[in-house]
Amino acid sequence: MTKESRVSIYFFAPAGIFMLVFLFFPVALLVRDSFFEIDMIAQGRGTFVGLSNYIEAIRSERFIDTTTNTLIYVVVAVGFELVLGLFFALLLNTAFKGHGIVRTIMLAPLMIAPLVTGLIWRFMLNNQFGIVNKLLYDFNITSSRHAIQWLSDERFALLSTIIADIWLTTPFMMLVLLAGLQGISKTLYESADIDGANKIQTFLYVTLPSLFPVMIVAVLIRTVDAARTFDIVWVLTQGGPSNSSEVLSTYMYKTLTRYGQVGESSAMAVIFIILLLAISSYFLIAMFKANKK
Amino acid sequence: MSQPNAGISNENTLGRLFKKNKTIIGLITTVLALLFISPYIYIVLTSIKPSSDAISPSPTFFPRELSLENYVTMFNQMPIAKYFFNSFITASISTILAVFLGALAAYGLSRFSSKTGNIFLLLTLCVRMVPMISIAIPMYIIINGMGLIDTRVALIITYTAINVPFAIWLMIGFFNNIPKEFDEAARIDGCNIFTAFIKVILPVSLPGLATAAIFCFMLAWNDFLFALLLTSTNAKTATVGISEFLTAYNLDLGPMTAAAVSFSLPVMIFSIIVQRYIVSGMTLGAVKE
Repeated sequence: MTKESRVSIYFFAPAGIFMLVFLFFPVALLVRDSFFEIDMIAQGRGTFVGLSNYIEAIRSERFIDTTTNTLIYVVVAVGFELVLGLFFALLLNTAFKGHGIVRTIMLAPLMIAPLVTGLIWRFMLNNQFGIVNKLLYDFNITSSRHAIQWLSDERFALLSTIIADIWLTTPFMMLVLLAGLQGISKTLYESADIDGANKIQTFLYVTLPSLFPVMIVAVLIRTVDAARTFDIVWVLTQGGPSNSSEVLSTYMYKTLTRYGQVGESSAMAVIFIILLLAISSYFLIAMFKANKK
Repeated sequence: MSQPNAGISNENTLGRLFKKNKTIIGLITTVLALLFISPYIYIVLTSIKPSSDAISPSPTFFPRELSLENYVTMFNQMPIAKYFFNSFITASISTILAVFLGALAAYGLSRFSSKTGNIFLLLTLCVRMVPMISIAIPMYIIINGMGLIDTRVALIITYTAINVPFAIWLMIGFFNNIPKEFDEAARIDGCNIFTAFIKVILPVSLPGLATAAIFCFMLAWNDFLFALLLTSTNAKTATVGISEFLTAYNLDLGPMTAAAVSFSLPVMIFSIIVQRYIVSGMTLGAVKE
């Protein structure tokens, strides 16, 4: 080993050791715990139970329902964010006078904590004092001020959490897509112009395909983040009423803290990691293919 | 408006129409953007209404009368200042640690081999894929085992661990763009490899350090899950404190808006000031330079 590379290792070592102890060890412990039955109070090492935590998790109806809710949350939220984000990005990309200021306005929610987003919507969607119900009533969309019990009706609870998520992260989508739009080479548009393409054709055959790789990355990042959602759901509904808005993160949190089932919550956490890795590798392969073209 | 004659293609007319309409598009976008952020404006306005107006069955967007009642109640009801202090301390120290450890490691990697850099890109991606709750479960067991439950140290360790891979990844990109001649020149001037890093490399990579610091800080400041799980009274952070204003009868919604605004408004103003760094950090990886 050269002196140079030895020095490089010294530079890397502090961070490396830190990650080893507080990042890789926890994940290893998680995998180990998923094969054990552990009593939180006794603080023992627990007894080895093989795959039974996994089998129990997969067989439980609640886990399946929770996974379905998470999927609905991800698909609906990310879908809307993509459409809305693209819409705003295209508007801003026309570079009208003052677009910089409007962009700044749009970026304001970007740094708001998911928790605060949850609070904002909990306040606005409140059954008794919420302004959303009042506006719906004022515009004659609903017949009474309490027509929709956003947070305590099983049909609306999950939708409410999705609305909050869309509001929080559409600016992110817009920002990334706008950067992508600005990165499209001018010559592509010029040649489309020469070929006599109209606006819609240019959008369909130049803008969208050029934007595709950026879109995949943005959707991937958002999919993973939306799947991990905890704060918004916890603050708005805590997964209720009767688990109708329960997502994987809140369910695992409850399994750990309310029921003290370390083994089972670890098994679910491992399944969750595998699911997310599978979904993201699918996206990454799609991106790789798009780049090859 | 003149009739388009046959010689001019349809697209040119559209193009001209489009340019004329740019102002209209600008107006529409401005209105839509204002509508989009109106929920936040509503919360800010509610926080300066009298407490009873916040829980009025017939809410109005603009305050009928101004009052700081909600802010006073917020301070009286819980030691919110202490929670803010805890948030600030844990976020700051973990940011300094993560950025420092990350920059050191990134420098080592960027001057060592670009292949190891790619491993960190992969590792960062993997850490991003792992749900926070999956790290939180074993972290809770470990912190519990170390007897560190409800301490600020527990949160500092956790936030640093999550942020280090990100900091490494971001800084590798910056260091790779700094020519090796910089190091060599510093070495000729009598620096050793460590002082060259501190005196020459770090100052030129300040924009990168700033971007990394902003994101590390925001992750820690905004965290709710780990703080909820790992703290109870002493080390409780602002996010957990604010969430406690939510009671079954909604009577504290007024002070809750005050706390939410106190927590988010300074950050929002700050983020507008440092927008350049945030934009570069967020589009990193998605958009090639």
